[in-house]
Amino acid sequence: MKSNRATQEPGWVRALLLATGLGFLFFFLGLPLVAVFVEALAQGWPAYVEALKDSETRSAIWLTVLIALAVLPFNILFGVAAAWAIAKFDFRGKSLLITLIDLPFAVSPVVAGLIFILLFGAQGYFGPWLAANDVKIIFAVPGMILATLFITFPFIARELIPLMQSQGKDEEEAAVSLGASGWQMFWRVTLPNIKWGLLYGVILANARAMGEFGAVSVVSGHIRGETNTLPLHVEILYNEYNAVGAFAAASILALLALVTLVAKTVVEWRMKKETDMLNTVLAPEKT
Amino acid sequence: MKTNRVLPGFGLALGYTLVYLSLLILLPLGGMILKASDLGWSQIIDIALGERSLAAFRVTFTASLLAATVNGFFGLIVAWILVRYPFPGKRFVDALVDLPFALPTAVAGITLATIYAGNGWLGRFIEPLGFKVAYTPVGIVVALTFVTLPFVVRTLQPVIEDIEPEVEEAAATLGASRWQTFSRIVFPAIFPALLTGFALAFARAIGEFGSVIFIAGNIPLVSEIVPLLIISKLEQYDVLGATALAVVMLAISFVMLLGINGLQWWAANRHRNNEPLEVAAGKAKGGAA
Amino acid sequence: MSIEIRNISKRFGNFVALDDINLDIPTGELVALLGPSGCGKTTLLRIIAGMETADQGDILFSGAEATHLHARDRNVGFVFQHYALFRHMTVFENVAFGLRVKPRKERPSDADIRRRVMELLGLVQLDWLADRYPSQLSGGQRQRIALARALAVEPKVLLLDEPFGALDTKVRKELRRWLRRLHDEMHISSVFVTHDQEEALEVADRVVVMNHGKIEQIGSPDEVYSSPASPFVYQFLGNVNVFHSRVHGGFAEVERSDQPEKATAFVRPHDIDIAHATFANGMPAKVLHVHPIGPVVRVELQHEQEIVEVELSRERHEALQLAVGQQVWFRPRQMRVFGADEQPRSTPEKQPFLF
Repeated sequence: MKSNRATQEPGWVRALLLATGLGFLFFFLGLPLVAVFVEALAQGWPAYVEALKDSETRSAIWLTVLIALAVLPFNILFGVAAAWAIAKFDFRGKSLLITLIDLPFAVSPVVAGLIFILLFGAQGYFGPWLAANDVKIIFAVPGMILATLFITFPFIARELIPLMQSQGKDEEEAAVSLGASGWQMFWRVTLPNIKWGLLYGVILANARAMGEFGAVSVVSGHIRGETNTLPLHVEILYNEYNAVGAFAAASILALLALVTLVAKTVVEWRMKKETDMLNTVLAPEKT
Repeated sequence: MKTNRVLPGFGLALGYTLVYLSLLILLPLGGMILKASDLGWSQIIDIALGERSLAAFRVTFTASLLAATVNGFFGLIVAWILVRYPFPGKRFVDALVDLPFALPTAVAGITLATIYAGNGWLGRFIEPLGFKVAYTPVGIVVALTFVTLPFVVRTLQPVIEDIEPEVEEAAATLGASRWQTFSRIVFPAIFPALLTGFALAFARAIGEFGSVIFIAGNIPLVSEIVPLLIISKLEQYDVLGATALAVVMLAISFVMLLGINGLQWWAANRHRNNEPLEVAAGKAKGGAA
Repeated sequence: MSIEIRNISKRFGNFVALDDINLDIPTGELVALLGPSGCGKTTLLRIIAGMETADQGDILFSGAEATHLHARDRNVGFVFQHYALFRHMTVFENVAFGLRVKPRKERPSDADIRRRVMELLGLVQLDWLADRYPSQLSGGQRQRIALARALAVEPKVLLLDEPFGALDTKVRKELRRWLRRLHDEMHISSVFVTHDQEEALEVADRVVVMNHGKIEQIGSPDEVYSSPASPFVYQFLGNVNVFHSRVHGGFAEVERSDQPEKATAFVRPHDIDIAHATFANGMPAKVLHVHPIGPVVRVELQHEQEIVEVELSRERHEALQLAVGQQVWFRPRQMRVFGADEQPRSTPEKQPFLF
């Protein structure tokens, strides 16, 4: 941002604003982030490694990864389908559909967990049938997957809808007028154009899927070694006053968050580069 | 609906979207509303207005409002310095703003509780001053401030970037002081975005659970939030009670969502004239002829 | 391939984009659809391409019904206004796309594709850019690549939406001439949409002037310029002075109607003579401004309350030596009068005159 004297705050105001803003970020973001790692290493490196070797911690890590892997394909498929229908076609009720897609963002995670208990729990609508057929959803992994699906539902669609709207229909129409079939058009034109946006949505959805606490907590039943994801395991260890164990597990999640931030920044930078390239002033004709 | 579309896949894409949406979102939410209707409205209201519930709603709303306000104020400053001022490490700070979105709430919860505890990094300086944060309602505000920090910054940033420098230069050439330019030109331009960010933060804060329970102390009537009350009812097998509170929460979220959509629509359209687009377009065409 | 358009209508909500359009495009002709934005010209082009479906009416290709044929099967080359080049593919892959997506049986071998693409890139004189990406090209280059891509599938009809709209003046002029030459070499029918009258008059064999979803006039460039069929066409194609009968107390017309009616006369600025002394049918006026603009000199006259614009050749201006504030006399050499119903009341042979 270029600024000049006419549109600049006085020096002391700039200093004050910078100090206030950065101070706020330091106390509310920087300090907690550092604290996670300091607390995890409070008893030294060996204790940290020992805490991570714990079998329950390891099974929590695997369950966390498993849930994310189960959830993402569905949400990718949904995100692409919803964005395709919404961005490239006109139909009645479009804005209602967009609002409904946003709905899980506004619903409390606890409520998100509760609704699946009401459907599949012992007193739920399908509870008796599930019990009779010996299918476990609540207090088991399928319920946790459902709750995570609900929570991460909007992420990919929310990224793709504006992206595909801004790209318009021209390239797809050009492909069709050149004789491409529907799948040829999708794989050769549409998907390459949205790949960064899709990746961005996947990164956000993955971070949320791995880090979700409230919704998963309600449906998990907290069965150690079986239905404990890493965030739930952090809670258990913390409540047992095992600070090093809790923060060691938390440090893995914090690392995941940092990786997410880096990946997100890289993808943002790629996307910005592509839009900048498309918007560059055209060089004069050489003839 | 039009027939014979050029681009393929509309039926398939919309069909999948609607089926998935219905099964995953609408059916479960509908199931809950149906369950709640077993209770009847008067009973739902009775449960929601019970002493403990009412206190939980009061705590949740007050803390969320305070957290959103804190973020509204500091978020404006952060967004402003991130867009306007050069400083070393700016890209790093910019990326760090999203930390609350990426960091699992449970991690945030235990970390904030540890920092603000009586022997924690900040607690040991604050508590001797007679100001207790951890295990009090103030702790809830702190946790919610952390969790909702990115909303105001991220809604304001693109809007501040979009302000044309010419507008501020024009104000300066007309003799406005820097403060006059900000309060009369810049602030009105970014106000809808500020309000949207505030509303987003507030909506998120109301439903937040993971980060709060570790720092709140969870004392009924004092520092118990609604999501926690829902869970404790559930743990006591009071499914109907939990459902009643959840339905009220859902209604609040829905109203918030509509309000936010309305805000965003207003922000995008407030300087257009009120004519329907087609009429305006038709006039423009007539004018060109 | 010839194109016949029969009674095509199209609405978007309450907006009538096309209102009962009929148009024949014979094989090999280069046709311009000319009109202001929103007149329906692009919609008509998209309906011919199959990108949009008409509410009513039929499209015939070489006499055969094509109304319900999918865009994919129409064998039409379409050049988009903003080119719609595939941004993640090289120039070579862009041009090759139409060949690569052909069903396996009809698909040429890789070597054939390569030969064909390089041939087309040679035709548009950009073979040296084969490995570049669209974002690395200038506007004029993008335009030519878009054209090469459309030609790769050997279309029978070439459709171009505002082909030169986004280019600067110099490139635009070059590309116009080049498109004309290309069209003549390829022996296909071409239709292009433009809002620029100069472009339509210079490039096209035939110009279709459109307004408010209707065709105002179809004719050769000379016809639509020198004998416009309606006041709209007169005003849209070039500058014009408009004289209202109210201001001047009526027209003395060669063909008198029984009822006196309101009428409007249209006179092109270059169809007006100026003289220092009064002459037959001349009207008095005062010189307001004199602007030499390139090859012509534009003179603004004030006649009563009206401003009259006159274009003189440099030679004529030298001879006249006009000065601002001078009293002069002027007379239209040629004009056209339209009644209140927008129908012409005069013909080029029988000229009315003002008094």
